Amino acid sequence: MNKYLTAYYLDEEDLLKGLKKIKSKGVEVADVLTPFPVHGLDKVLGLRRSRLSIIAFAGGAIGATLGFLFQAWVFTRAYPINFGGKPYFAVPSFMPVTFELAVLFAAFSMVFAFLISNNLGPGSKNIIHDEQITDDRFLLVVKMDEEDDEKVKAVEIILSDAGAQGITLKA
Amino acid sequence: MYVSPIREPLIKGGKDYSQVTKDIMAPMAGKPSIYWYVGIAISGGALLFGAWATFVTVYYGIGSWGLNKTVGWAWDITNFVWWVGIGHAGTFISAILLLFRQKWRTSINRSAEAMTLIAIACAGFFPLIHMGRIALGFFIFPYPNTRELWVNFNSPLLWDVFALTTYFLVSLIFWYVGLIPDIGTVRDKAKNKIRKAIYGFLSFGWTGSAKHWSRHETVSLILAGLAAPLVLSVHTIVSFDFATSVIPGWHTTIFPPYFVSGAVFSGFAMVLTLLIVTRKALNLEQYITKVHIESMTKIIILTGSIVGIAYITEFFMAWYSGVEYEQYAFMNRAFGPYAWAYWIMMTCNVITPQLFWFKKIRTNLVAVFIISIFVNIGMWFERFVIIVTSLHRDYLPSSWTMYTPTVAEVGLYVGTFGLFFTLFMVFIRVFPVIAIAEVKSVLKSSSDEKKHTHHE
Amino acid sequence: MENLTFKLTKKTVTVFVVMIAIGLIALLYGVLGSPGAERVAANLLLNNYYFLSLGLIGLFFVTVHAISESAWHTSVGRIGEAMSAFIPAGGALLLIFFVLGGLHLVFEWTHEDHLDAILLKKTPYLNEPFFYIRSVFFIGVWAAMAHYIRKVSLQVDLNGDMKYFNRLRTLSAVFIVFYALSSVVTSWDWLMSIDAHWFSTLYGWYVFSSMLASGVAMIIIILYILKRMGYMDHVNVEHIHDLGKYLFGFSIFWAYLWYSQYMLIWYANIPEETVYFYERHKNFEGIFYVNLILCFVIPFFALMTRNSKRTFSVLIPVSVIVIIGHWVDLYLLIMPGAVGGEKSGIGLLEIGLTIGFMGLFLLVTFWALTKAPLASKKHPLYKESLDYHTNY
Repeated sequence: MNKYLTAYYLDEEDLLKGLKKIKSKGVEVADVLTPFPVHGLDKVLGLRRSRLSIIAFAGGAIGATLGFLFQAWVFTRAYPINFGGKPYFAVPSFMPVTFELAVLFAAFSMVFAFLISNNLGPGSKNIIHDEQITDDRFLLVVKMDEEDDEKVKAVEIILSDAGAQGITLKA
Repeated sequence: MYVSPIREPLIKGGKDYSQVTKDIMAPMAGKPSIYWYVGIAISGGALLFGAWATFVTVYYGIGSWGLNKTVGWAWDITNFVWWVGIGHAGTFISAILLLFRQKWRTSINRSAEAMTLIAIACAGFFPLIHMGRIALGFFIFPYPNTRELWVNFNSPLLWDVFALTTYFLVSLIFWYVGLIPDIGTVRDKAKNKIRKAIYGFLSFGWTGSAKHWSRHETVSLILAGLAAPLVLSVHTIVSFDFATSVIPGWHTTIFPPYFVSGAVFSGFAMVLTLLIVTRKALNLEQYITKVHIESMTKIIILTGSIVGIAYITEFFMAWYSGVEYEQYAFMNRAFGPYAWAYWIMMTCNVITPQLFWFKKIRTNLVAVFIISIFVNIGMWFERFVIIVTSLHRDYLPSSWTMYTPTVAEVGLYVGTFGLFFTLFMVFIRVFPVIAIAEVKSVLKSSSDEKKHTHHE
Repeated sequence: MENLTFKLTKKTVTVFVVMIAIGLIALLYGVLGSPGAERVAANLLLNNYYFLSLGLIGLFFVTVHAISESAWHTSVGRIGEAMSAFIPAGGALLLIFFVLGGLHLVFEWTHEDHLDAILLKKTPYLNEPFFYIRSVFFIGVWAAMAHYIRKVSLQVDLNGDMKYFNRLRTLSAVFIVFYALSSVVTSWDWLMSIDAHWFSTLYGWYVFSSMLASGVAMIIIILYILKRMGYMDHVNVEHIHDLGKYLFGFSIFWAYLWYSQYMLIWYANIPEETVYFYERHKNFEGIFYVNLILCFVIPFFALMTRNSKRTFSVLIPVSVIVIIGHWVDLYLLIMPGAVGGEKSGIGLLEIGLTIGFMGLFLLVTFWALTKAPLASKKHPLYKESLDYHTNY
């Protein structure tokens, strides 16, 4: 069964200092939960750079290509009409729609990828460790798979040495 | 990170994080004040008037308006462009000010973005209703049909469809993604079970995890990078509605950036109008400070001056071109039958924003409020003057005629004000008007108790 | 820690002098050889306008960042200031060029005996006396403001007093307003009136956007040169990233204005407007598309990723391409009207003269860099810039 040790800080600078200490003692921190994005936390936790930008670019490229080719097909193959003497393959006219579809596809593909890959969405059930996180608490979570009370106590000591408060063991 | 002491604080009152949460969530709690009820009653009344005007228009047709063969567009498209323009400030604040790392945007972006969404809804109403047979409004979208006919991709009116749809949808997800963490806060503070369930659902399971925050920041940054050219493109495409024509006063290459500047100009004025009242009514003066107000007035000077330079350029080029039709268009604007509209426009758009060069005026909230309203009046008249004066007298004098609006047309405009303010009033009760998490993230660097962060 | 005093070595000066010499040789070849007087004059105008504008954009950068209370720019602001030192020289050269016959060679409206009905209507504006009054006035005010703003900027340096900082901000606002008006009017006078039968209300802003992009590119290149010489240690990768973002953004902005002007004229298809692009499509077709590739396609794709904007190995090639691209842009603005398809081309004359002007511009800029510390240490926002780092 999954047990968690949680502890919190009330200030992000203390969090960063404490976190470094805790990690140096070999404790594996499963997650850190904060009320706002903390500058420098990514580095301390070793988070990889997001690849969402690639998805946005791919989405944009697909949107632009689809938009341009569709317009070109409509105007040259499907139902060519002479509009005010303009050529059928009217590249300058095609640009606005091409651009808009590029932005639309880029934005939506990236946001959907973000939500899905992080399990955020209507009806998503994620564990809320502490309702104060979204207020003013910076919480860290350590997974405790052991039944070993000694191990749990050892981690608790490391956490309290690093200045964390409210150390609790929960199921 | 070190912050220079000459920078003015953006958050006053020596707040800590939980105080920020409390202050911003306060307007959502308890029963609304009497002012809220009065406000929503008035805007609701305006909305009803608009509903009546809509009925008249749909039932009797566009004949119930004052349009004629010469003047085919007037209040309808003026209102459309006016509302779209206003919407642009929200995206400018959220996207462009984010890219320029202007921390002061954190107190105003949430409400400005909400304003954008509502303004786009108000704007979109006009192209729809001016079609007459609004039940066939879906014709504007390219879908396979038995007539094997597609939409005219050569037409700027069609480009508008794509631009506004994209703009609305992208603004919506940008606003909502930013809102998710704050909805998490509302959910966690909710005591009532139903309230907790609803906000829990809307919060998409937000936990505050560092990994989520990191991805959230990336998404916000890229959305800002997409929204910035998007906002320029939308009003550019709107300007193409006019500039692609051949009529004097409409066909001129400066329209795209000139319209975009005008849009940001009027949009910021509307943000000021809304927020000067909102900050007082909701006790948020320590978050939406005089620094915020002043920064917005500076953007108004900038964009207003760009609009002024565009006017000068147009006059000069009308003369320089030697084209008598172009020259007449401008003479007619200034001295013809609609001269009164023209001079209202000039006074409101060119003279009033220049008053903001004086610090005393920039920091006087009553003056700023009044000027912001004048700017929006001026920008309404700018679109009216461009549309009606160029249409009512173009190349062929035998077609020249006058235009007057009917009650139905005016009623539709009043109705959109009703829609705008009603939705905004609902917004301030249902969602936090200030981006809670974003303000917390700049609290240390920008509050009046300067706490310098050590950096590792 | 920081080496803030720039020393102009003999080696550097020699390089620039050689470049100027190449320019003079090219000029000689142009005058004595086959190209023809109009082509030589058009090239002199092109380069003179280009580098004078780069100087003005340098000042524009300094002033815009002053009034927006930007901290990061205080680390690189001296480069823009140094570029602005070229304004008096560039302006004087331009006036001399006009007086010594350049005006008549390039601008058909100066041939008073050959004016058709359209040009006759424009004579209240397009006449030599008024032209000279405008040119002298604008160049004079630019030079005076550049000098005065530089002086106040140095006072901020010596003296950190808020009084000088505020004066700098006020002067910056005045310059920006004046520059907005004057850059537009001078682009009409010195460039648009070459095709005097034609007009476009967007023209002034379009040319401005072109110079803005190449101005940033020049700042990046000069920064790189200084760093290679061992200076500007206080400029970290975050500052460079910001400059890269500007290069990316302004290139897109230029393309937006290019498209707006082109598409609107194409769409309405009014002959008196389309004649402008007709000439360009007929005799300058290749260059027309090369222009788009250099000024937009390459910067757009090359600078899209975050890392590309943080490393000189991408920024420098792209900056060089952007500078060449906007030279080509000016070529398309000037040559078709001034010289025409048959007599124009990009040959030794063009390359030589450009190298010459570049050498002169760089000599003046680097000389100006020696006259002040490379960073404005007492500037109230400098410390913030030193510590500058950000998540994005």
